[in-house]
Amino acid sequence: MKRVARGEPLPWGLLPLGALLLPFLVLVAQGIPRLGGALAAWDVALNSLLLALVGTLLVLALGLLLAALALWGGVGRGLEALLFLSFYIPPFVTGMGLLFTLQSFGVALYGAKGILLAWTLHYAPMAYALLRPALGPLWPLLRAARVHGVVGVRRLRVLLPPLLPSLLSAGGLVYLALLGNFGVPAVLGLPARVYVLPTLAYARLNSPLSPDPIGEAAALGLLLGLLALPALLLRPRPLLEAASEGPPSRKPLYALLFALYALLSLGLAAWGLLREALFNPYTGALEPAFAAALALPLVVKGLGNSAFLALATASLLALLALALRPFPQALARARQALDLHHTLPGTLLALGLTLLLAPTPLYATPWLLLLAYLLNFASPAFRALEAGLRVEAQVAAARVHGLPFWRAWLRVGYPLLLPQARGAFFLIFSLALSEITLSSLLYAPGAETVGVAVLGALNGGLYREAAAVGLILAALSGLALLALGRRGW
Amino acid sequence: MVRLQGLTKRFPGGGGVLEVDLEVPQGEVLVLLGASGSGKSTLLNLVAGLLLPEAGRVFLGGRDVTRLPPERREVAYVFQDLGLWPHLTALEHLLLVMPRPHRAEAMALLERVGLGGLEGRRPGELSGGQRQRVALARALARRPKVLLLDEPYSALDPVLREGLRLEVRALLKREGVTALHVTHDPEEAMLLGDRVGVMAGGRLLEVGPPRRLYEAPASLAAFLAFGRANLLPEGETLLAFRYEEAVPGGSLPARVLERREVRGEVLSRVLLPQGEAWVRLDAPPGAELRLALPRARRFHRDGHLLPDPGLKEGV
Repeated sequence: MKRVARGEPLPWGLLPLGALLLPFLVLVAQGIPRLGGALAAWDVALNSLLLALVGTLLVLALGLLLAALALWGGVGRGLEALLFLSFYIPPFVTGMGLLFTLQSFGVALYGAKGILLAWTLHYAPMAYALLRPALGPLWPLLRAARVHGVVGVRRLRVLLPPLLPSLLSAGGLVYLALLGNFGVPAVLGLPARVYVLPTLAYARLNSPLSPDPIGEAAALGLLLGLLALPALLLRPRPLLEAASEGPPSRKPLYALLFALYALLSLGLAAWGLLREALFNPYTGALEPAFAAALALPLVVKGLGNSAFLALATASLLALLALALRPFPQALARARQALDLHHTLPGTLLALGLTLLLAPTPLYATPWLLLLAYLLNFASPAFRALEAGLRVEAQVAAARVHGLPFWRAWLRVGYPLLLPQARGAFFLIFSLALSEITLSSLLYAPGAETVGVAVLGALNGGLYREAAAVGLILAALSGLALLALGRRGW
Repeated sequence: MVRLQGLTKRFPGGGGVLEVDLEVPQGEVLVLLGASGSGKSTLLNLVAGLLLPEAGRVFLGGRDVTRLPPERREVAYVFQDLGLWPHLTALEHLLLVMPRPHRAEAMALLERVGLGGLEGRRPGELSGGQRQRVALARALARRPKVLLLDEPYSALDPVLREGLRLEVRALLKREGVTALHVTHDPEEAMLLGDRVGVMAGGRLLEVGPPRRLYEAPASLAAFLAFGRANLLPEGETLLAFRYEEAVPGGSLPARVLERREVRGEVLSRVLLPQGEAWVRLDAPPGAELRLALPRARRFHRDGHLLPDPGLKEGV
């Protein structure tokens, strides 16, 4: 359908899209000659692959179970929000919380098992969110199977094939998230010398012994990219339309189990953090470590820098998304190009930007990190403005009644989009505040982020202070979630 | 006032082509009647400037507006989904679109459409009928050269619909507004239109006074568009008559199969030599009747009307 001329995508909108992919192109160009050397780290690559694959299976299984409990238990938005609360706690904080909780029971969580447990608990809500809409349409199939005597294991023949595309696509996204996750392996893997590619790249980049740290890290990044590639190519098509009705009878027991799990997963992470941050481990006395944590110069600086970066990233992206919103095709194209930066492991973007901008004055300044954040978080910010309310009809109504293009957007389109813009702002603010992958690779000396500060505190044995900062981050994420949850028009 | 000259547009989604020539004089309410997919809404969107034609011209008030953006066409639109702005009050809807915003004038207009005292409410705080009135008041506040209405009453319950549409017609006539009103409801077309245009497959088949189109349609599509239609095959032709066009006393044998009462009107399903038909006659099931069809007409199977002077006597 041909729209009126002012509503068409900007023709120059395509030009910068190619430039957005430059970091990856440079990474590929610089990484390929050194790929042979990186293959010496094949055991770490294999470790990354296996951990991500096993982790994906665990996350999917738990997510599917939760989705089934929610569907049959009639779980509403309130309980769902409780589950998502644990997802909004940054993964490395979850890892830290689990570490402290299990430590109090005499279990050491370091190593592969710990990484898998932290990933499973942290990412299960993501799998749940991806799979619950896919489960709804299965209900009519299951009902028909039951009525026609297909029960027991035979039900899988009815259920699995329609579910498979959703499982594959959710699995692909979870796999990419795990493969690229830096925080959990940094907290739980590094102390036990269990490496994955993102942590090895970080170690190489910071190694004083390496003759070519950036080149070696680039080759590892490329290897990581190759492991990510199959999941990127996975684009299964859903077989089923959304269902109009769910199961007629709700089972309150299922809702109760769902609630118990949500509380348990939150509690497992929170308990350890609270215990570590609030009580003296030797005397057991109540001695909150917040003051001590906030007295650490790195933490203060980190909180300030992270708050500034998160505020700048969230504001700039929300404004940019709003500016592009009247041109939906331009917004969609920009978002599609930027999807790659968000979906692929952050390590790749960080290394690509390092290679691309190392010769420029931008390198080793906080602005490089801001650029990385903008590129990394643009996709979810744009998506938040793309989806949701369709304001085009309302703006068209305003134009038909005499309001010029921009006035129609200012008076009608933008006011209606405010809740979406607010949602995008808080989402990006929360993600950027506790970001750790990009910042641990790109921070400028003196401009460390709070994530880097927590890692530093952990490495320096300041567990109580690290736990206190982790709690502050979790609380801020929770507040952002509350702001996100506010309803629009 | 409205002149569409050789207007051509491929339907969104590639479902056919709209080709229309039309003139609507100042102050006339023209109702476009047709099934869904006939191109009615596309035609309104072309007039509003929400779609651009592939060929042809749109004149409003003598001015060629074909390439003008919607906001410069001086039209107003009551959308099927109303398209109200959820963040604005009823009064703000009017003030925003008025060429010269004037609070007292807007309040008076709200009063005229029956929204007195509700000016501070947002759409979410109004009933279906009240929202409809806000959409209408917004449209009138614009002082449009032409008012476009796209099935504006389809979401209302029948009682509210019936009252409101007569009210709106009276208002439009009082204000002297030229209006293009789209509907698929023949009763609404008959009730509201000074003239009715029958649309099918992207063409405007016939335009004329509703009574004339109802009683003497020139095409099968126009005959069917108004409903209450019997269509019986006779070789290469189709015998067509409306329920009330069958009268007792002719030579056509008919046996009553069923008797129904619909809105105070008795209808009977009868078996004729050509097949089954509905007629507006009160007779018990099983009764044998003799009918005449003095106003029936024949169409060729391709849809065009056949001249048949012998028809009335024959049946």
